[in-house]
Amino acid sequence: MTDTLPAIELVGIVKSFTSHGEIVQAVKGVDMKIAEGEFFSMLGPSGCGKTTTMRMIAGFDEPTAGEVYLHGNNVTGVPPNKRDVNMVFQSYALFPHMSVFENIAFGLNRKGIAKDEVTRRVGEMLDIVDLGGREKRKPKELSGGQQQRVALARALVNKPRALLLDEPLAALDLKLRQAMQVELKRIQREVGITFVFVTHDQGEALTMSDRIAVMSNGVVEQLGTPREIYERPATKFVAGFIGTSNLLSGTVSEVIDGHAVIAYGPEERVLVAVQNGQVIAGSEVELTVRPEKMELSANAPHGTDCAVRGTVTEVVYLGTSTNYNVRTSSGADVVVFTQNATSADDLAVRGDSIWLSWEPRHSYAIGAPS
Amino acid sequence: MQRLRAKLAPYFLILPGGLWLAIFFIIPTVTMLSFSLMTGNEADGYQLTWHFQNYTDALSTYWPQFLRSLEYGAAATILGIALSYPIAYWIAFKGGKRKSTYLFLVLLPFFVSFVLRTISWQFFLSDNGLLLSPLKSMGLVSQDFHILQTTVAVVLGLTYNYLPFIVLPLYVALERVDPRVVEASSDLYAGRIATFTKVIFPLSLPGVFAGVIMNFVPAASDYVNAEILGGPNNTMIGSIIQDQALHVRDYPTATALSTVLMGGLLVGIFLYARALGTEDVLEAAAR
Amino acid sequence: MNEFDPAFLRGITQDRRSFLRAAGLVGAGAALAACGVKGAKVSPAKADDVAKFWAGKKQNGHVDFANWASYMDANHSPLKKFTSETGITVNYKEVITDDPTWYGKIQPQLAAGQPIGYDLMVVTDGIELNKLVQFGYLAPLDHKMLTNFEANAGAAFKNESFDKGNVFSVPYATGYTGIGYNPKYVKEPITSIKQLFDPKYKGKIGMMKDTQELGNFGMLLNGVNPETSTEADWKKAAATLQAQKPIVRQYVDQNYTKSLSNGDLWITMAWSGDIFQENLSNGSNLQFVVPSEGGTIWTDNMMIPKTAPNPVDALKLIDFFYRIDIAAMLTEEINYVPSVPAVKAQLLKDAQTASKSDAATFTTMASSPLVFPTDAELANLRHYVNLPNPGAEKIYQDLFLPISSG
Repeated sequence: MTDTLPAIELVGIVKSFTSHGEIVQAVKGVDMKIAEGEFFSMLGPSGCGKTTTMRMIAGFDEPTAGEVYLHGNNVTGVPPNKRDVNMVFQSYALFPHMSVFENIAFGLNRKGIAKDEVTRRVGEMLDIVDLGGREKRKPKELSGGQQQRVALARALVNKPRALLLDEPLAALDLKLRQAMQVELKRIQREVGITFVFVTHDQGEALTMSDRIAVMSNGVVEQLGTPREIYERPATKFVAGFIGTSNLLSGTVSEVIDGHAVIAYGPEERVLVAVQNGQVIAGSEVELTVRPEKMELSANAPHGTDCAVRGTVTEVVYLGTSTNYNVRTSSGADVVVFTQNATSADDLAVRGDSIWLSWEPRHSYAIGAPS
Repeated sequence: MQRLRAKLAPYFLILPGGLWLAIFFIIPTVTMLSFSLMTGNEADGYQLTWHFQNYTDALSTYWPQFLRSLEYGAAATILGIALSYPIAYWIAFKGGKRKSTYLFLVLLPFFVSFVLRTISWQFFLSDNGLLLSPLKSMGLVSQDFHILQTTVAVVLGLTYNYLPFIVLPLYVALERVDPRVVEASSDLYAGRIATFTKVIFPLSLPGVFAGVIMNFVPAASDYVNAEILGGPNNTMIGSIIQDQALHVRDYPTATALSTVLMGGLLVGIFLYARALGTEDVLEAAAR
Repeated sequence: MNEFDPAFLRGITQDRRSFLRAAGLVGAGAALAACGVKGAKVSPAKADDVAKFWAGKKQNGHVDFANWASYMDANHSPLKKFTSETGITVNYKEVITDDPTWYGKIQPQLAAGQPIGYDLMVVTDGIELNKLVQFGYLAPLDHKMLTNFEANAGAAFKNESFDKGNVFSVPYATGYTGIGYNPKYVKEPITSIKQLFDPKYKGKIGMMKDTQELGNFGMLLNGVNPETSTEADWKKAAATLQAQKPIVRQYVDQNYTKSLSNGDLWITMAWSGDIFQENLSNGSNLQFVVPSEGGTIWTDNMMIPKTAPNPVDALKLIDFFYRIDIAAMLTEEINYVPSVPAVKAQLLKDAQTASKSDAATFTTMASSPLVFPTDAELANLRHYVNLPNPGAEKIYQDLFLPISSG
């Protein structure tokens, strides 16, 4: 990140609602900085506060406490029509009584842009979203994907400082969704505007984002690049919410060289990196390992520092890969993904006793500050 | 047998609809039209003599009342829209969880009988009544000023009595406006006024259209308000038709007047729909 | 509709001829109703009609009675007495608001020979009563059963011009149309119809909406007796009334007494009993006068529709109203002119046993010219206009209706 002002900055944002006479905090103190030109996602299950946070950026809701800055200007209390951000709604919220052209031109006309200029910019935008020749249609004469693109064009044509997208792909079917993901990414690169993308679909967030804020219960659980979030989930929630994670726990027998060692039995031990002084021998730790990082073998592996024994409880053949469900000797249920690259034969069958092994850098302690 | 049944089946299928149409529309209309071309009287009976002069006679005698009815109906409708829109708007957008309660409160007075309601206006507007008495004692209006038995009283009565016919369709149309669309408008740099004129009002047009028709048609053919609140120069065509049919029992004149009224209103609605662009309206209504 | 048998559509669209036949059938039904409507006129009554009608009719123990609003006390005391004495139950409904509307309501059933739901009804003398008689809708009364009527009815109320010999009707009550005014606003004695035309009362004058009442006053002002008036008189009266229109506040029907007491109207055409009743019930001090040009007298009459299922019971009730004590009972309540002269004595007799306030009311009533008009006043009262045939009626209505509904 450069030293320029962030496109969007949230400082100590709190939002409470009164519901059935009780005060409910939907957002409980969120701080984040979104950089210029970034594709930023807010990811979380429904009710985690991500949409409320976005609505406060747009100006539809005002925070109970905290401030919203757009390019360094405090816009808290400024109505939406005076904020230089635009929103793409989940249901698109196109104006049903206007043509595609009128929809896209709406914002420009409100700003009092000259007619020729409006026509030119709408035309340009129609090309970008690939809707040339459909400007006279009414929204209901378009397919879901086309409506989506009109909504996008309607917002982008105003060249806002940031574009807010509230689950814009949720209403599309899988194929169209995947195509639109690529499309959105392309458009973002083309126009170079900051995108703030709200979604509950972790795959979508991972594919498209430069950075992701994973939210739960009104707080940001983790903020980082997709890789960071996937591979080094900071909390149990993130680990569970993003992809599949195997959770192991145990008592620390010793701490060597920045690593806690958990010994389950003879030759069975797991190493996980911890910060000095945070964990001592005898304390309980929890750690996660992604399924694809584990290797499965019939015999005790050599040369690795993490290895546990287990019994195969289920084998699921998936074509390109095979999933093995394994119960470890310490009683944890884990999943292992193996690529079917070399051998057509299964590595094990149900009931086999096997070993699982991985490198210590793939174990992540949970709850401990990193 | 099979063939016969196959041939008859379609008629049996259109029977309910056909009967409905015949009973509620075709027979009354044909009867009305034929009566309007008859001559005669109650004692000697009426004969269908294709006496088209009934129409010219009726129109030449009663055209002022016709014109007046259309004027009063239009005035009541315009006033009605002006009054109902804020009410319907407020309930639809600001009513929150109590929308139906507010709507019920608006409609509550209309559970009272039509005539009683109108008579209560008579008390309210009376020369020394609730409204004028304080104004007169304060010297704001002259002692012989009166509202009862004037055009103002009749139009006020019509406006009030047919208010629900506008409030309800307007409310339904406004209630159906997606709040996200309103937000989208303000997100796209439209202030409150622009959001209203460019988005909310156009989207409520089906309600306005329905409200205008549902209000104008009965208001223009009303006679109760003119009878109770009006004076010698406020008679509406509904009164004339009622007098001709029930009091004078001059059926040909009464039916000729009714036919003209019905035709006039139909033409009016048609022109109105054309002017407003029915396609757009119906399209919006079908959303 | 999408998975539809195409034969259905063919049946309708291709087989047009038979469809048209079916449609024609519907049309024919409508046309049958449309080609003309039979006249209602019947041949005049014959001498043996009474015997023919009443032959075989029996008392059924029940009677349905249709009357005008406020035309009996709230408890219906005379009817209760009737039931306790005869065992005949009475279903009393005040459903009549004005003669033309009532006639319009019952005419279709009467024309079809069906019962109207009432065995006894009260109709004012005038156009509608004439029609009921002319079209043979009424039962001829059997005077052998009207013993009280024969004994107690005043001579003036037997043999009235609209139903000579009381063939179809006997009076229920009589009143007159004159001028009512509120002395709070009108500061001069009112004596003449001319005062209804005085521009100084502009915007405070009420005239009656009813074309017969309205026309009568126009003619009386022009010195014409409505009962014997001609078409030329009507035209002149219509012109007179048309000229008055700009100063008229309202052509009134039922609610005018309220307007008179609250000051919306200062001076108006009025019915005698209405003014008396308003003063009694609201403590107002409204005045009623029979103008020097003359007022009109009218009679509300009891009659039995020919199709009534309980005519014997109805006839018994009619005669019951002619018992002196019952007639007095009714007069005490409704304040109109009774058809039984002996009521005056009965009122004074009742006053002796009644409570103090009632006694005062009864005494006032007995001396009131509104309830017991003097001979001089009766001489100044005229009967309604007589419209002998439908043609005359149409001419009359076309002259006066446009005035009240301008």
